Amino acid sequence: MKRVPVVVGIGMTRFAADRPDCNPRDLLTDAVLALLADAQLQDLKAVQHGLCSYESDHFNKQMTLAAILHDQIGLTPVPNVRIEGGGATGALALRTAWAYVQSGLCDSILVYGCETNGRGVSSQTANQLFALSADFDWEMMIGGTYTGFYAAMMRAHMQRYGTTAEQFAHVAVRNRRNARFNPLAQKPMELTIADVLASRPVAEPYRLLDCSLLSDGAAVMLLATEEWARAHSAKFTARPAVYFSATGCGTDTMRLGDRYPELTNFRAKRAAAQQAYQMAGITDPLHQIDVAELYDSYSGVEIQAVEDLGFVPAGQGGASVASGMFDLDGELPVNTDGGLLGRGAPVGATGIAQAAEIALQLWGEADPRRQVAGARRGLTDTHAGIATLSVVNIFERRD
Amino acid sequence: MPDVKSKKDILQIEAGEDSLWADFGQVERLTLSLTQTYTHTLGRYSRFFIELENQRFMATRCGRCQRVYAPPRPLCPDCLCPTYWVELAGTGTVQTFSVQHFSPGSNADVAALKTPYVFAYVLLDGASTLFPHLLIADPAQVTVGMRVRVHYVQQPVEHPIHLIHFIPVE
Ligand SMILES: [Zn+2]
Repeated sequence: MKRVPVVVGIGMTRFAADRPDCNPRDLLTDAVLALLADAQLQDLKAVQHGLCSYESDHFNKQMTLAAILHDQIGLTPVPNVRIEGGGATGALALRTAWAYVQSGLCDSILVYGCETNGRGVSSQTANQLFALSADFDWEMMIGGTYTGFYAAMMRAHMQRYGTTAEQFAHVAVRNRRNARFNPLAQKPMELTIADVLASRPVAEPYRLLDCSLLSDGAAVMLLATEEWARAHSAKFTARPAVYFSATGCGTDTMRLGDRYPELTNFRAKRAAAQQAYQMAGITDPLHQIDVAELYDSYSGVEIQAVEDLGFVPAGQGGASVASGMFDLDGELPVNTDGGLLGRGAPVGATGIAQAAEIALQLWGEADPRRQVAGARRGLTDTHAGIATLSVVNIFERRD
Repeated sequence: MPDVKSKKDILQIEAGEDSLWADFGQVERLTLSLTQTYTHTLGRYSRFFIELENQRFMATRCGRCQRVYAPPRPLCPDCLCPTYWVELAGTGTVQTFSVQHFSPGSNADVAALKTPYVFAYVLLDGASTLFPHLLIADPAQVTVGMRVRVHYVQQPVEHPIHLIHFIPVE
């Protein structure tokens, strides 16, 4: 228990489609200032390690962004490391920080993520850059896109289990609705299922409102041993202790076709969840987890996730989602901050923002309209590609 | 006045008087174009693409586990031994697909595609994995389980993967 990291504080910018007032350094500045306020710290001088979380040299037009950002927030000369894990970058960064603290390499580590995926490039350029993260000669050069890969998986899910467009539209409606209670969210919206079904097709079966957002933004989380936190942050002792208690990670083949005959679900996510559950002593996730942030890159992906995370049996994701089981007033509220669909997704910041929402929920400090009463254990689910790399992190309040 | 050729605009960001950044509200934006040209090797995949010019569809087989990889894998990831080339008939069955309504314009071949187009995962007869490619057909007529075959094109292409696509078996 002694070295299980605690969350000392969090900081985030508003996520937005366009932040012309900020380059990546400026975004990170704002997230770090928010962290100082949250943790009641004067500066970062006692922090022993930096960990930079960003995915794309292309979107940010900068290699070695980790060195630039580390310098920007005054962390030199403490050690630094940059983590990249596609869409799971932020969650993998936190998992890495977990290991750095557990190993004794450092007692405190600032995990700082930012990305500029917004309107700095046209949507066509954005698609080309994201397609670079597909298999170059066998998928990207054909005209494959991640929207298309996800859509093909969802079609297989519909074919096998009878999942419907109305069921995944429920996710698109609910997560954007949850975003209304999050002032940092990019796209709060009040929609109906009919609105989603009437939006233009992008890659069938997915339509425009089934797709998550391209965002500019930054998010940071300061992790430390409990001893370090007590010594350096007055705020830490003033609110319930939140531990980063467990982490799991799984992988899968790069191309969907190599997973045949499994086309409907995410093997890597099941593996990540199993590891994390074992570490946290969870045997009945639906009842032992109080709040979860799921990787809703597309609305249907949340349906696949609730199955692979073991909340419901395979094939029952659609019906359970549509029943309201995962709504704010449901059995296990998910994406309370809006998720990727409503809050937004600047890649390197996404997993950290998910963890920040869980910390807020466990502290009991979320906006009352989205606060899950009595939440004591929360989970984040984050993946890269079509869950080519999947990370599950678990946080627990102990007081 | 000097001319800044890449200048797009100058914005004034509205910030409240109490904003920390009130003194930094003026924002200049530039339009920058970055282009790169690569020599791209197809490496140990090369024979697959070269044989497409001869209208032959090649896969690889692992001599140890007998799995047949299409797309080819020069190394069997399960056995970690080199595979060998085998020719497939080029017929197969659609396992899943998406109907894509925009082109990412990844290269000239993709930019020229008429939307919507069908991106299909096909289990080729004799293969163990699914081959992703375009299925040139009326999207409304495409179904899981549909029989398709490799079609060889005659017109010039930029990337050799576009020497083929799938079409329905009549
Ligand atoms: Zn083998």
